[in-house]
Amino acid sequence: MALIRGRERNTGAQIFTASMADIVFLLIVFFVLTYKVEVDRTKMDLPDTWVRMKVPEKAAVISISPPSASPPLTIRVSTGEEMSLPVSTDEEIVTFASTEVAQNPDKEFIVKADESVPYERVDAVLDALKQSKVKFIYLLSEQKVVD
Amino acid sequence: MKVKKKPVPSEIFTGSMADISFLLIIYFMITSAFSATRGLDFALPEDTQTPEIKQEDAIDVHVLRGGAIQVDGIDKNLEGLLPYVAEKLKQNPDKPVILRTDPDATYGDMIRVFDELRQAPEKIDTEIKTISIPTRREIENLWSMLGIQ
Repeated sequence: MALIRGRERNTGAQIFTASMADIVFLLIVFFVLTYKVEVDRTKMDLPDTWVRMKVPEKAAVISISPPSASPPLTIRVSTGEEMSLPVSTDEEIVTFASTEVAQNPDKEFIVKADESVPYERVDAVLDALKQSKVKFIYLLSEQKVVD
Repeated sequence: MKVKKKPVPSEIFTGSMADISFLLIIYFMITSAFSATRGLDFALPEDTQTPEIKQEDAIDVHVLRGGAIQVDGIDKNLEGLLPYVAEKLKQNPDKPVILRTDPDATYGDMIRVFDELRQAPEKIDTEIKTISIPTRREIENLWSMLGIQ
């Protein structure tokens, strides 16, 4: 008697990808909403502090690169909306800050400096900001943690 | 003779959507940066309300090279700063603090002391109403006004 063989069914291996589009779009929406352009990308070790206030988003930025950077102690300025540009003299900082303050008298300024920068350079920047009648300054820092 | 029209299925081709989406995700992941967005704030006095602060009326905190501190001319460590300030503020709660920093000290040294002063409400339960950070030019102007070389 011949054996009646059942027909073998093909079981195709499949990865279910229907929800991939949803996940991908969720990720895109997340990145679009949280995306912030970093106007100054100077790498530095910021000083650590316990007290930290949130800095305004559109504040102007003045950064001072560390002495170990190449070239050392470079000062860069940004309006907060455009990428930072280097300045070579303190007078240029005064001109930059005065222009910003003339457009918006309450414009906030962020000083972003490496912790190893000699205070003399920071003093020159603060002096330029004071001469320009800046009202609010933020000294950017990292969160201090218990050792 | 009638020509039979073939029905054309209307479809939006979504085959490349996944590629485009992943490209966008990769772009955002690479370009977005988690930058520091917090720091110590201080407001500068406006010209119209600039108070005349004399050194003898204030608590003078001097940050020296290497991070050492002198408060009213007396050597102190960071832990001893706020208790001293608290004593002075008991006598006069409006007493301002002048934070001077040696040009050879580092920015980190200055921030360490400024951060300590800003913690006064938590550590000594007293608020320092005014913390002044004069620049070297301002100090020199004051000295020349007082006739000190």
